[in-house]
Amino acid sequence: MVARLLATLVWLVISVLVLSSGSALAADPIRVAVLGPMGFLQGEHHWRGAQIARDEINDAGGVDLGGERRPIELIQIETNEMLSVSDATTAAERAITRNRADFLVGGFRSEAVLAMQDVAMDYQKIFLGVGAAHGELGERVQEDYDTYKYWFRVSPTKSADLGRQLFAVLASVAEQIRTELGRDDVKVALLAERAVWADPLVQAAEHNLPNMGMEVVGTWRPSAVATDVTAELSAINRAGADIIFTMLSGPVGIVVGRQSGEMELAAVPFGINVEAQKAGFWQATDGKANYLATLDTYSPVEVTEYTIPFVESFIERFGEPPAYTAATYDAIRVLAQSIEATGTLDADTLVDYMEETTFRGTAGNLKFDERHDPTWGPGFVTGLAVQWQDGEKVAFWPNGWQGVSYEGMRPFRFPTAMRED
Amino acid sequence: MVVRTMRRGWTLLRTEVLVLPSRIVVLVFAVGLLVLPLFTTDPYLLRILIMASIFATFAASWDFLAGYSGQVNFGHALFFGTAAYSSALINVNLGISPLLSIPIGALLAGVVGVLVGVLCLRLRGPYLSLTTLVLPIIVVSVFFAIPDITGGELGIRRVETITRDRVANYYIAVCMMLVLCFFLWKLGNSRFGLILHAIREDQVAVRAAGLNTSRYKIMAFGISAVVAGLVGGFYGHFVRSVGPAVLAVQLSFEAVIFGIVGGIVSIVGPVAAVFILYPLTELLADFPAFQEFRLLAFALIVLLVLLFMPRGFVPWVRDRIEQVCPSCKNRNTRGRKRCRVCQTDLSD
Repeated sequence: MVARLLATLVWLVISVLVLSSGSALAADPIRVAVLGPMGFLQGEHHWRGAQIARDEINDAGGVDLGGERRPIELIQIETNEMLSVSDATTAAERAITRNRADFLVGGFRSEAVLAMQDVAMDYQKIFLGVGAAHGELGERVQEDYDTYKYWFRVSPTKSADLGRQLFAVLASVAEQIRTELGRDDVKVALLAERAVWADPLVQAAEHNLPNMGMEVVGTWRPSAVATDVTAELSAINRAGADIIFTMLSGPVGIVVGRQSGEMELAAVPFGINVEAQKAGFWQATDGKANYLATLDTYSPVEVTEYTIPFVESFIERFGEPPAYTAATYDAIRVLAQSIEATGTLDADTLVDYMEETTFRGTAGNLKFDERHDPTWGPGFVTGLAVQWQDGEKVAFWPNGWQGVSYEGMRPFRFPTAMRED
Repeated sequence: MVVRTMRRGWTLLRTEVLVLPSRIVVLVFAVGLLVLPLFTTDPYLLRILIMASIFATFAASWDFLAGYSGQVNFGHALFFGTAAYSSALINVNLGISPLLSIPIGALLAGVVGVLVGVLCLRLRGPYLSLTTLVLPIIVVSVFFAIPDITGGELGIRRVETITRDRVANYYIAVCMMLVLCFFLWKLGNSRFGLILHAIREDQVAVRAAGLNTSRYKIMAFGISAVVAGLVGGFYGHFVRSVGPAVLAVQLSFEAVIFGIVGGIVSIVGPVAAVFILYPLTELLADFPAFQEFRLLAFALIVLLVLLFMPRGFVPWVRDRIEQVCPSCKNRNTRGRKRCRVCQTDLSD
């Protein structure tokens, strides 16, 4: 009887010790709300990127907050932002008040993120944006710093920098056409979906390309959901274009990939093609989109020492490469580093630190500018350009651009029809 | 004077409200909403109730148009969105206070409502519904074509709030809902409402009785649009941004769903549906397992309600706690032996 009692007591003590040691790690976690449209690829990758960061940090013992190890706890917040802006704002408020989130990361649709940004700023909560590209998010920081200083954008670069990157890659492709194919007069066709976001890019291309020594042979504006673009592609072929400068975010990107391959065009598509960034693009185009190129964020190239391990870990765990919204990984690591360096969760102190520090992220060196946007350019975040080559998405830019090159880059290739032309 | 007013109020309360369980429930609900901030000022809870108040009024305004007059509008977001956009534009570009820009926006929505009413005068049934469905889609396309004015896909930002105080916003939203829904309910039960009922049932007969049905239908469109516009304007100032989502087809269908689930031709029905479904879906969002299935759960609840309560939730409940006098058609508490108005025997 006494032995049984003793055994029970020993078990009780062990249980209490185990529980208390566990709760030392879980007692007072740092709560990070991951906001996103979880039913969509963008939100799914928000969550996956954050999970990898959380596991890495917690496996290493948590975040050192003034000598105390604190684990990261993620809170998944379905914003429903694709359908409803009011749902998104309510979700952001739920994360802050009900779930007691210390920090917010994520957000995708600009219209909703602007509204969620207001909610986060009301509560003076640090919100690291990962997904929305609109410049206004950063402009607010510049114009009303005291209110909006808690907002930082981790990814993507702001739309103006995205434009600069596009033209830099385009210049590099044009140069390769001149040197490899011996064509001095490079002709470009603009293929932009009928959407407001593409309008300034079309205007900029029409204005800039002649100054860059390229001829614009025409502009075609199919619907973002068009299922047939043979008329546009035939016209582009007749115009003798060498490059099809794409500005496509909708499913028409798949159609362009498939039909340009079927028609064996003597031109290479490059630009923004959101569908082509996805792992399933090759299958979606029945393998016809060979040599189609687009801007992208992640590829197994060594942008920094963190890129390849992250991409490989992501593919191993989830069976597909990360989309750019998986940069929640970087966002959480930025938070962890800032908390450890300052030893506090105080938002104002963290903001000061984040403004001063250059973080080493998976997409480059992350240095926030005066608008709290990532600085774009050599030595900072440059982005990548990728090309589909025989079923594989390979990175080809920057490959020597302004002295920037990453290990693992491959050369840009031209369709056979272009070489024969 | 004060004593006399109080006495009249008490008499009204005793003879008109406390005699029917459904009205007592409405009274308790209204008083409960008004005293809630005395017990909690949880900003998240107040936000949910503010949103619920906005959408409840919006759904009630749809019920007034579709339920009472039979003009089944599938594009009701047009009025909500017109007011939200115009109020935000006036506020941002002209610097006019939201207290003034909201009524102006609502009046503009009313004008749009009248125009739609005139446009749809000769249309009935599915033709009317389909025409109204496409109108907000056309407006969104026009807004996209003039991004310099409307902000295009991103909409209008930096919209001023009436107040930053959550409790104050709560009282504005709740009081707007109570006043506007009471107004719609009274109007629906007035002579004007009776004529709308008659138009819905038999337009030719009403015309034969010498009434100008066109005028009544256009007025119903106008009134419904102004009410939707008032909460649409307030919504834009509360959320601080207005984008294409306020004109989305989904928003129009939400009004229809809330109206049908709650029970049309009642005003109270859509309000009840919003106040049950909106917080419920938010509550489900607290459970990670349900987050992705929130819309599915919402659809399931709607289907179940329509399966077991085909006339809607409020009529279903009301039929169980009240009965209609076969003689004077007034409602009585179920179980009463005699009608409270005409004393007809109700024991059968």
